[in-house]
Amino acid sequence: MTQLSYIIKGNDLQYIEIALESGQQAVAEQGAMMYVDRNVAIDAILGDGSASRLGGLGRLWNAFKRSLTGEALFSSIYKNTSSHPQIVAISAPGPGEIVPISLNEHGGSIVCQKGAYLAGELGQKTQLAFQKRLRVGFFGGEGFIMQKISGQGTVFIHASGSLKEVTLTPDDSLKVDTGCLVGMASTVRYDIQYAGSLKNSLFGGEGLFYATVSGPGKVWIQSLPMNRLSKLLMGSALAGGHSRSSWVGKFYLLAIIAFFIFTMTEKV
Amino acid sequence: MTVEFSVLLFGPGLPSGGVVTDCFIEADGIRLAKHTQFISFANLTARVGSFDHNQLQLAWQYQNQTWMLIPSDLTNQKQLIKLLPNGFIDGLGRWKRATLSQHLVWKTVGYSLASIAVVLLLIVWQYDAVVTWVAGRIPISTEYKLGESVLASLTAQKALVNKGIAVEAVKKIGDRLTKDSSYKYQWHIANDPAINAFALPGGIVIVNKGLIDKADSANEVAGVLAHEIQHVEQRHALKNMITSSGIAAAVLMLFGDANAVMMIMAHQVSAQYFSRQAETDADMKGVALLHRAKINPSGLTTFFKKMQQAFKDKANSPEWLSSHPDTNNRIKAIEDFNKVHLCTDCEMLSWNKKAILASLAKAK
Repeated sequence: MTQLSYIIKGNDLQYIEIALESGQQAVAEQGAMMYVDRNVAIDAILGDGSASRLGGLGRLWNAFKRSLTGEALFSSIYKNTSSHPQIVAISAPGPGEIVPISLNEHGGSIVCQKGAYLAGELGQKTQLAFQKRLRVGFFGGEGFIMQKISGQGTVFIHASGSLKEVTLTPDDSLKVDTGCLVGMASTVRYDIQYAGSLKNSLFGGEGLFYATVSGPGKVWIQSLPMNRLSKLLMGSALAGGHSRSSWVGKFYLLAIIAFFIFTMTEKV
Repeated sequence: MTVEFSVLLFGPGLPSGGVVTDCFIEADGIRLAKHTQFISFANLTARVGSFDHNQLQLAWQYQNQTWMLIPSDLTNQKQLIKLLPNGFIDGLGRWKRATLSQHLVWKTVGYSLASIAVVLLLIVWQYDAVVTWVAGRIPISTEYKLGESVLASLTAQKALVNKGIAVEAVKKIGDRLTKDSSYKYQWHIANDPAINAFALPGGIVIVNKGLIDKADSANEVAGVLAHEIQHVEQRHALKNMITSSGIAAAVLMLFGDANAVMMIMAHQVSAQYFSRQAETDADMKGVALLHRAKINPSGLTTFFKKMQQAFKDKANSPEWLSSHPDTNNRIKAIEDFNKVHLCTDCEMLSWNKKAILASLAKAK
């Protein structure tokens, strides 16, 4: 099968234009489509469309497990039914970057954060990668459930904010803020490390733990995890609402009342 | 003996994702044919790798740079570990312990969850035995104090008679029923027209004037008393409290914080269910008590029938919602018991109802 040819467009709010050759197919998560050309047939498939030796029930179970990793139960499959190249445009779910990763270059599988999968070729599997180490699951910032994407060809994952791709040699390791990790090659070791001192963990603003990744292999790091962004937006959304009673305002009010009471008592 | 393995090789000048290559395990080291390297086992260091921390990574120094090989899959890895000599490779023992301890942690978690589930199942299954056991830990004096405090709040609300012919008559029947009890019973009569009698923990029995008024024979009073005495003897109030607190604890554990509405609902349902069970229990043990005290048990059923007649016009709520079981079922169960257990020497009791009512009217 020929490789997907694609162009990633946009800066902070990106989309991919995949040029499908005659008969070629691409898979994308539900609701990610922006537009397709006239001769592209769209079909919904259960899970990632992979077969199961347990038949339909096994496929349903796989799709259910897959849905726990932040994906929908169904995916959409796009097929070029004409003899000319046709375009399928897939948009990212939020601000950030779309990262094309060639699975063949990483031993056939990578591990990503929950919900990172955006689109890919048919035959790629998105599976549940369960964090077996309690420490890392609780404090690693990614939770207990991540995604394992395996197969051949190119897969597109979505990273929030800007993306940094780091290649680790067997000797390298990196401290990453918990939550900033988007994905890593299957050979990369993912662990957590205590921030070191009480002062750092209390006032460093990074929490009690750092995530550490050690090589060999590639890691993908995002600059603005979704939960940070949503916290920021939520905070300013609440402050921008009609209630202007911030704590400073309350203190001001208290001061006025106190002043009023003191002047009253003086008179008496 | 050499064995060939497919491995992923990392090193300077190689692609960042590694290259798949073949290696040969020999007696004293690993030979990489394509890369013309031979690494002695003594120069290898084992590391834990991958997301699951179950991957074996073998690293070594070659021309002052780090190289590494990783078995291409888990079955490959298992075979490779078997071939590697013990004690030669730095870190291999640690690697084995780390992967094993990982395994042990999950086993422990699994087993502890399973044992908690088993204990919970046992508790649900042997519920009566568990509650009876817990109730048995609480001394009678505590129960008595509990009853006293309720009695104190009751006397504030309504007038209680604890002297006179009426109380004497009730006490006479009561004493006959509680001959071998470890509780010290107190008998009170409340000046309340409602047809009711109730027992407080610790052996305080209160009979309403309305009940005496409605009863046609002393045996009917004896039947009701036997029922109330069994509430005391079986420690129903205490067991009810234990159940409620147990459910509250379970809700707390399951949902983290005790949502007030949920707690009240759980308490309500459990209290109603428990109450119905307790009533049936008191009925059956009450009849048995009447038999033992040689008192004709027919009074209990005739009084129930009377109660049913009196409350007939009231709208009936479904049984599972009510605190008392369906009266028809109760009467049937008691009559069945009497049919099976004949009590030929049980006697009718006599009383002077007029004098009792007159004394109560005076007390008012």
